[in-house]
Amino acid sequence: MKPSNLPGFSLSGWQRHWKNRPLARDKADTLLLLTACLLVLLPHLAVFAWWVNAGSLSLMLWRGWLTFSGRRLPRAWVLIPVALTLMAGIYLTYHTFLGREAGVAMLALLLSCKLLEMHAKRDLYIVIFLSFFLLLTSFFYSQSIASAALALLAVLALLTAQLSFQYTGAVPSLWKRIKLGLTILGMAIPLTLIAFFLFPRIQGPLWGLPGDANAGRSGLSDSMSPGNISKLALSEEIAFRVKLSGATPAKSELYWRGIVLNRYDGRTWSHEDDAKPAASTSDLISNGDVLRQEIILEPSGQTWLFALDMPDAAPQLEGMLSGINSQREMNSAQPINNRIRYQANSHGQYRLQSTLTAQALLPSLRLPASYNPQTLRYAAKLRQGISDERQIVNEVLQFFRRENFSYTLEPPLLGVNGIDDFLFGSRAGFCEHYASAFVVLMRASGIPARVVTGYQGGAINNVDGYLEIRQSDAHAWAEVWLSGIGWLRVDPTAAVAPERIQKNLGSTQNSRGLAGLVNLAMSNDSWFGSAIRSANMRWSALNNSWNLWVLNYNQARQFDLMRTLGLSEFDWAQLSLIFFLLSATVMSLLALPFMLNRPQISALDRLYLSLCQKLANQGYPRQAHEAPYSYGQRLRTSLPDTQYAPIHRFLSAYSAAKYGKNVQSEASTVKHLKILLAQCR
Amino acid sequence: MSIISNIGPALADKFRKLVFLEHRPESGEVFLKQRRVFTLPSKAGWMFVLLLLLLFISSTNYNLNLGFALTFVLAGCACINAFLGFRNLAYLHLLAGPAAPVFAGEEAQFTLHLINRRQHYRYALHVGFAAPGHTEQAVDIAPDSRCTLQLSHPTLQRGMMAIPRVRLQTWFPLGLLRAWSTWLPDAQVLVYPQPEAFAPPLPVTGVAGKEGQGHSGDDEDFSGVRAYQSGDPLKHLAWKHIARIDLDAGGSLITKQFSGGSASDILLDFGSLPANLDLELRLSRMTSWVIAADASGLAYAFKLGALHLDAASNEPHRLACLRALALHQLPSPEAGV
Repeated sequence: MKPSNLPGFSLSGWQRHWKNRPLARDKADTLLLLTACLLVLLPHLAVFAWWVNAGSLSLMLWRGWLTFSGRRLPRAWVLIPVALTLMAGIYLTYHTFLGREAGVAMLALLLSCKLLEMHAKRDLYIVIFLSFFLLLTSFFYSQSIASAALALLAVLALLTAQLSFQYTGAVPSLWKRIKLGLTILGMAIPLTLIAFFLFPRIQGPLWGLPGDANAGRSGLSDSMSPGNISKLALSEEIAFRVKLSGATPAKSELYWRGIVLNRYDGRTWSHEDDAKPAASTSDLISNGDVLRQEIILEPSGQTWLFALDMPDAAPQLEGMLSGINSQREMNSAQPINNRIRYQANSHGQYRLQSTLTAQALLPSLRLPASYNPQTLRYAAKLRQGISDERQIVNEVLQFFRRENFSYTLEPPLLGVNGIDDFLFGSRAGFCEHYASAFVVLMRASGIPARVVTGYQGGAINNVDGYLEIRQSDAHAWAEVWLSGIGWLRVDPTAAVAPERIQKNLGSTQNSRGLAGLVNLAMSNDSWFGSAIRSANMRWSALNNSWNLWVLNYNQARQFDLMRTLGLSEFDWAQLSLIFFLLSATVMSLLALPFMLNRPQISALDRLYLSLCQKLANQGYPRQAHEAPYSYGQRLRTSLPDTQYAPIHRFLSAYSAAKYGKNVQSEASTVKHLKILLAQCR
Repeated sequence: MSIISNIGPALADKFRKLVFLEHRPESGEVFLKQRRVFTLPSKAGWMFVLLLLLLFISSTNYNLNLGFALTFVLAGCACINAFLGFRNLAYLHLLAGPAAPVFAGEEAQFTLHLINRRQHYRYALHVGFAAPGHTEQAVDIAPDSRCTLQLSHPTLQRGMMAIPRVRLQTWFPLGLLRAWSTWLPDAQVLVYPQPEAFAPPLPVTGVAGKEGQGHSGDDEDFSGVRAYQSGDPLKHLAWKHIARIDLDAGGSLITKQFSGGSASDILLDFGSLPANLDLELRLSRMTSWVIAADASGLAYAFKLGALHLDAASNEPHRLACLRALALHQLPSPEAGV
């Protein structure tokens, strides 16, 4: 891909050569552009329909082949049907041209087609600008550090391609052009940082987002049927990060309350929408210290907010309303499609709704009549023997412990009477099985109970101190209502697999294959294991600060930053002013080396002066009145011949170049003098 | 309407002079200091601005913080591009070389030197006349070196022609901005009148009568050559001379002259041309005669108005004659500007 400098290219137009005979330089430039476009399309390939990938890649291959073989670009009557076919394909696949995915796929195909239709310099700009836009759309899928790095690489490639087409005569080597691209990019970084943090932001969206804007996010759902949570548990994605202001409670106390599932149809637990807003604080009586948390929630596409059990009030969100209801579920007014931050206060020791009427508790006692007869019989038997509600709870937990229940992510399939099958058949399951079986047993024995889903546990990142809660920490537990006490958290899974509550899921499950090997290495207290662990934590912490400072940065954070810089009263106009002042300062600092008009000393004189400096350091300074010749004459008398000879050669060459008829080009004279100067000691 | 169209260009001219510092011709080496280099977005640059706007709006709408970062990186690159484009052109030294005289209708060749005393390579400088319709030359200048280029400009009228304004511009490195500067060097080219295409033969004075009865047949009496006149015998044509001159450039046939006929001096007298002929046509005829006389190698005397030049046939003589013809009845160049 090394371009060659071709004499004779210099004066003629770029376009003419493009059309007629492609020269080696054009080939190299085109291949560079193709590479850049490929880099741009790379993150999209995982998302597009297979035929879009195949289409754009084969179009680019076609272009590459035409360039290599030096053939003409296809004529319009070849290209237009191809383009129309591809457009039709878009419509057939996405049934629209306007959606986000359809639009991006169309742009990608358009770019590939445009590569085959480049005749003038204008077309080059269209290709490059389209690529820049496609880079932006690649951030729809991922804004991770890796995708940022890939995008930066693509920007560098595009800049290098763009500037490569600007040369008219001499073309420096690819590496030199990349270096120029790097220089431009590197110098743009300070400006970027200033603009990123200080350019006045407007909180989006400006217009309605297309329906598919936030597709494919994982998180807890507001219903629970067998397998929901165990599917989530396989995901190592981070659900949220928490910074606790005080000491971190024991892991077995870290229950992150999410969604209350109160309605049961025999198979699926679902959320009741008619929950009333939380009553006054008398509803929740705290018996202990307040746990303050700062939570950074990853986008879930849902409205649920999480906090430690038991949150006391709805958190304040930036630019969004939030609420908390009587079931102590917290949610936002709109789906969370961007990472958000909020503060929450929770109480580890509490009484919740200790005075509820029988009427209010009725929904928490409902069971579908025709399901799980065996379970109902068992509950009735329990109820007959014991009068104390607490004892019934303990008896059921004992039952889980005593009988041969096991904890597994891959339980056998259950029949229509799922709870019966589980309690008296398979006895193998995941937290959702235990929680739902427990609640059904409670309700059947007359104790109000409900399922609560959320997350349990979390791991502290030693690097930045944030508690990281992953999707694999998703958990379901139960709450029973006991008179005089209120809602009480009961985790039946803990009765079966206490290690699930005390440790992470990873250590309770034996992974197979490579993951198992890694787990094995990590569980050992070997140097290797701890190295991997700490690298993991570092990476995670880096991701967290990336989220905090890059991805989560918005208008509110911008104002926060200003406040921490000591500017309390702040408005938009002031922010603009600061932005412009600061960027003007940085721009002038950057521009200074270019704009500064230093005294014009020719390269020849520079070399002469450095020789004089050299000699002055040795104790033979040039007198102000001395010309090179007279200076040389004086040096001849005071310096030994061996030392004088190279100085003489330099001085005569300099004099000849400076005062004689300059036969050689300046550049070659300078080169010659440099060699002579190096010989002078 | 006509008033506006008359005032428009004048105002535009004033504006250019005021903003772009277009002053009188500059002599000697000219230094492109920063005040003389201008930058504005090119067409692609305006497209880029639109792109940045689109990127910013999309990033806002979709809350793409990396989209903002991309937008700002690209905007930053455009700023850096402006600096680099400026540096590519600014602080260049310009020098105009002498231009060889030409005949009207020919292309005048102006030699320009661009001197780069800086340590960086200057790429893709486009140099040409500022007037529309001129093709520009693209040059690169290595550090500490110079580049010499020739710009040609068609000539239409005799006299001193000043070099038109030269424009230097560059789109380097990203093509988003155009940095440009103009330069009006104090260089002129002398344009001789256009030689008449089919000029009458050279006028030979005085002794034409003798010639007819002379020893036209004797090769021994050969004394020289003169321009062909109708009636000269074909065998007296000086073929060797004819082969050397260019008939298309106004030369004519040459007849050998033989002694016996007096040494017929050629006198090119402007005053002897018919006064009813157009001045320019008379000058053209004189010009073609000077060319013809010089080509024939004969000594010729020259009379133009108050100017009398004795017969001679050397290069300085020819140049003096042509110069006089070029500048005849024109204001002197010093007073003209």
